[in-house]
Amino acid sequence: MAYQSYRNSTLGNSLQEINFRGSLNTYRFCHNAWTFVLNDVEFREVTELVKVDKVKIVACDGKNAGSNTTE
Amino acid sequence: MDQNNSLPPYAQGLASPQGAMTPGIPIFSPMMPYGTGLTPQPIQNTSSLSILEEQQRQQQQQQQQQQQQQQQQQQQQQQQQQATAQQATSQQATQVASGQASQLFHSQTLTTAPLPGATPLYPSPLTPMTPITPATPASESSGIVPQLQNIVSTVNLGCKLDLKTIALRARNAEYNPKRFAAVIMRIREPRTTALIFSSGKMVCTGAKSEEQSRLAARKYARVVQKLGFPAKFLDFKIQNMVGSCDVKFPIRLEGLVLTHQQFSSYEPELFPGLIYRMIKPRIVLLIFVSGKVVLTGAKVRAEIYEAFENIYPILKGFRKTT
Repeated sequence: MAYQSYRNSTLGNSLQEINFRGSLNTYRFCHNAWTFVLNDVEFREVTELVKVDKVKIVACDGKNAGSNTTE
Repeated sequence: MDQNNSLPPYAQGLASPQGAMTPGIPIFSPMMPYGTGLTPQPIQNTSSLSILEEQQRQQQQQQQQQQQQQQQQQQQQQQQQQATAQQATSQQATQVASGQASQLFHSQTLTTAPLPGATPLYPSPLTPMTPITPATPASESSGIVPQLQNIVSTVNLGCKLDLKTIALRARNAEYNPKRFAAVIMRIREPRTTALIFSSGKMVCTGAKSEEQSRLAARKYARVVQKLGFPAKFLDFKIQNMVGSCDVKFPIRLEGLVLTHQQFSSYEPELFPGLIYRMIKPRIVLLIFVSGKVVLTGAKVRAEIYEAFENIYPILKGFRKTT
């Protein structure tokens, strides 16, 4: 019950614990934002595994302001 | 650049990049076993940032040093015998002696032998070695060669830089002006880190040899140049070299600090290593109980080697016998 309301309250995509592992191609830190490009990444969730050739991660500080985009 | 002076006069006309450059007067010397496919021309003090040129220049130097070595092998052996005699007595840090001294050590960073009066400032670590067995008495040489672990160098790119542009457009760059007023950039080959300041000055750290440090600095300068800045390569200078080695026996640091107290400081509660400040050459050595030694503060490779050769007999005297 409490878990359901948690799921509903989370903004955007609700994520469980996700692990990912890959090799770092490039990184950048400017304007307080990190941009990573990883290669051959495995996203591991409890339920499933997603393999991907290239991932771009954009991340910045903040309690609720972190953003993630993938391509 | 000073490397130009390292070639004897007959070879100076032969130093040339293999790339397409303005042809000079072709010189065929029967003493060049590699033949001349090259168009020799006067050595340029190039501040252009072509990495290909830089690598070719380094290969050129190695080839020429190799040729010199093969031609002068007999003379070198005689000089080595003299050098070892000199080494035992003198403390000279002349580059000739140091070039010969460094030849006594067999390591993957062995330098090629210079001719008398020839002073290569950057011994090339990539030269395939023609093995030369020096005639060293067993008591003179330690047989251990300190390995270079880190080289710090600086260069002036000669123009003001916009760090925000560099951080946004270059790969593998960090820029946090609130914390530090420079862009921190890294490259993988040679594995190094550079601090690039808005004045155009740059610090390059992490290389394992002088040539690698220079090559890395040129690669960073090239990156900056490709971003649109009129980058040059002025006043490249190696500021610090760090080496390390292992004497393979434990050391009585307490004894060492008692007898060499004007040079040593040993505070085991503060730091487990003894800090030995050698006067000549001016090198700081960190000496540990295990027998590992770190040498730092050198501007040239020979100072590291000389400092270690100076400290080795002292350390042998303080070997732990239990």
